[in-house]
Amino acid sequence: MDRADGAGLGAAMAGHVALFGALSLGLAAAIPPKPVPPPSMEVEFVEEIALQSATAQPSPQEQAAAVAPEIGRVDEAMPAPAPLPEPLPAPPPAKTIMPEKPAPAKAVAAKVKPETAKAKPLAKAKTEALPTAKSTKPEKTAARAPRIGKDFLAGLSDPSPVTADTPAAAVMSAVALADIQAAIKRQIQPCADRQVNPGPGASRITVKLNLRLNRDGSLASAPRVVSASGVDDENSRYEKRVADLAIAAYKGCAPLKGLPDDLYRTAKGGWSNVNMNYKLPG
Amino acid sequence: MKIGTMRLGLLALLFAIPAVAQETAPPATDDDAPLEVDIVGGISEPMPIAVPVMPTPAATPTAQGDTVSLGRQVAEIVSNDLRSSGLFTPVGPGGLPAVSFAQVTAPDLATWRPMNAQALVQGFVRAEGDGDLTIGCYLYDVSAGTELTRQGFTVAPANWRRAAHKCADAIYARLTGETAYFDTRLVYVAETGPKAKRVKRIAVMDSDGSNHRFLTTGQSTVLTPRFSPRGGQLVYMTYADKLPRVYVLDLASGRQRPLVAAQNMTFAARYSPDGRNILFSMAVAGNTDIYRVSAEGGQPQRLTNAPGIDTGGSYAPDGTRIVFESDRGGSQQLYVMGGDGANQRRISFGGAAYATPVWSPRGDVIAFTRIGGGRFRIGTMTPAGAGEKLLTESWQDEGPSWAPNGRVIMFHRTAQGSGKADLWSVDLTGVNERRIPTPLDGSDPSWSPLLD
Repeated sequence: MDRADGAGLGAAMAGHVALFGALSLGLAAAIPPKPVPPPSMEVEFVEEIALQSATAQPSPQEQAAAVAPEIGRVDEAMPAPAPLPEPLPAPPPAKTIMPEKPAPAKAVAAKVKPETAKAKPLAKAKTEALPTAKSTKPEKTAARAPRIGKDFLAGLSDPSPVTADTPAAAVMSAVALADIQAAIKRQIQPCADRQVNPGPGASRITVKLNLRLNRDGSLASAPRVVSASGVDDENSRYEKRVADLAIAAYKGCAPLKGLPDDLYRTAKGGWSNVNMNYKLPG
Repeated sequence: MKIGTMRLGLLALLFAIPAVAQETAPPATDDDAPLEVDIVGGISEPMPIAVPVMPTPAATPTAQGDTVSLGRQVAEIVSNDLRSSGLFTPVGPGGLPAVSFAQVTAPDLATWRPMNAQALVQGFVRAEGDGDLTIGCYLYDVSAGTELTRQGFTVAPANWRRAAHKCADAIYARLTGETAYFDTRLVYVAETGPKAKRVKRIAVMDSDGSNHRFLTTGQSTVLTPRFSPRGGQLVYMTYADKLPRVYVLDLASGRQRPLVAAQNMTFAARYSPDGRNILFSMAVAGNTDIYRVSAEGGQPQRLTNAPGIDTGGSYAPDGTRIVFESDRGGSQQLYVMGGDGANQRRISFGGAAYATPVWSPRGDVIAFTRIGGGRFRIGTMTPAGAGEKLLTESWQDEGPSWAPNGRVIMFHRTAQGSGKADLWSVDLTGVNERRIPTPLDGSDPSWSPLLD
């Protein structure tokens, strides 16, 4: 082996090593990594969560409390025309929350937002429907009245009856809708589960039942069969019976309870008008 | 200022109207899209139903007992009929609270709800001035609190049982969607005596086994009795002439005559759905074919002519097609042809022998006996031969006969060894298999149409 051979061999070996390395890298890149199974995720159905409007709905108590008793200067209030023997009984808070300046209105919103968000984080998106319109109306005489009651040490809560209006426009969000659907289903299911399949093919029929409900959850009118789908030659004899079963399933577990009052009727529908699509299993 | 007040008043009015409407009944506005809720639920189990004793407005003696005891017996018949269908678990009449006559039309549902009955049957038995009985029958949905049906039947006292069956029929029909079948009769071959020397007589009874009587004396063996579509006649095969021949028997008069005059072996007769024709098999010169003859008699018309045995013809309900069995292909198989014998084609390909096909009164399936693996089983398939479904699992079940509603099949089951046969029924779904009580061993059952 002469030098040229040695050099050639060395070069060839180096080349092969380089090639091997390059190919290995290329191969490593080409082989898809073994798919790692995604970590298992625990899923729970949302049936247990409370029903709430998607609208942030500050409780009137909170609204009242949010405008702390320090609003209004006592010295201004003192020379009020009417003799005030004692610190005034709290006036209607809806009107008293507002001082002359609109600034505290913001304070209301600011104060309310975090609280409602805490109570219902899923409802964040809809908090813009805050009831500020009415509360921004200034009320002159009341604003001057001293707000310190004899109970001011008890804290922020205002014991007087609160007449703040509920938010004008509750919004039916997807979550609220799912909540209501789940609540109705949960209540009717036990009675649906008692209905007896009349015969072969009956489980292919779906009956759409329209229910008009009163605010107390009772039926405003008799359930109306809107349509029946899945009816064919074999099972048409069972159509009427399946409609019976749908009505019996509903009525057996009616009236509906615990549905959110503010979602009774909204711009995007509400539970005042429900279509129940009933079907036998199978 | 005045204008302001007025405007306020108008506004108040505008708001007041919807508020009032809302309180009374939510307005059904079209743009108010309903909230959709999907509910899937139900069971495939017998329905619990309460059948209390039926009261009477005034206890009156009749030829069949007084109206008080009849009220109890009618409730018992209704309860038993519903139970026999396998689709209900009746409670009562024993052990249920008494129902007053006034409550029949105004049920106290609060009493029945805790009993878990989904439906409630109430009724009454009243003696009319002319000696007839009126039996009222009411069905309520207990949970929905609604009346589902009501029927009244005025009958001669002797027919009180039929009124009870009619009541059960009305309830069955309303709760299942099927047409009814309790007010029917069954005809079958009653068997007595040892296996080697059986006496076989045709017997007829109500669907619940009552009013049982024999139509033939037992001097000659009889087979395959079949009701006419109106229930007034039977065709059956007898060995009275030493040669098996088909006879027609008029139930009212008891008169009978051979179906055809020819001195050939005839068997496997069955009426057409309209009652005008009778299909039967006749062996002529060693070849057995299916023939059709007018129910009044006359010249038979041959429908098949293949070599081998063609037998067991049964019409589709519309009369346009006939299913039959034939061994022309080597083993017994089912074939379908037109009402005139045209377009014969095989429909059974299940790797076994198939016999005794009977077209369902609904027309959708054909019941048969499948013979294979050392067993005889009852099954169904479509007229095209698809969807074969076996309904029974026993050692020897054969001779299917449809209930008039096409939901239930009756057949006879022979016990392995003893050869003892009795009547059974099975639901089209293959469940609710149950023995039909007969005073004697029985085979070859046939269901009458629903009686008028």
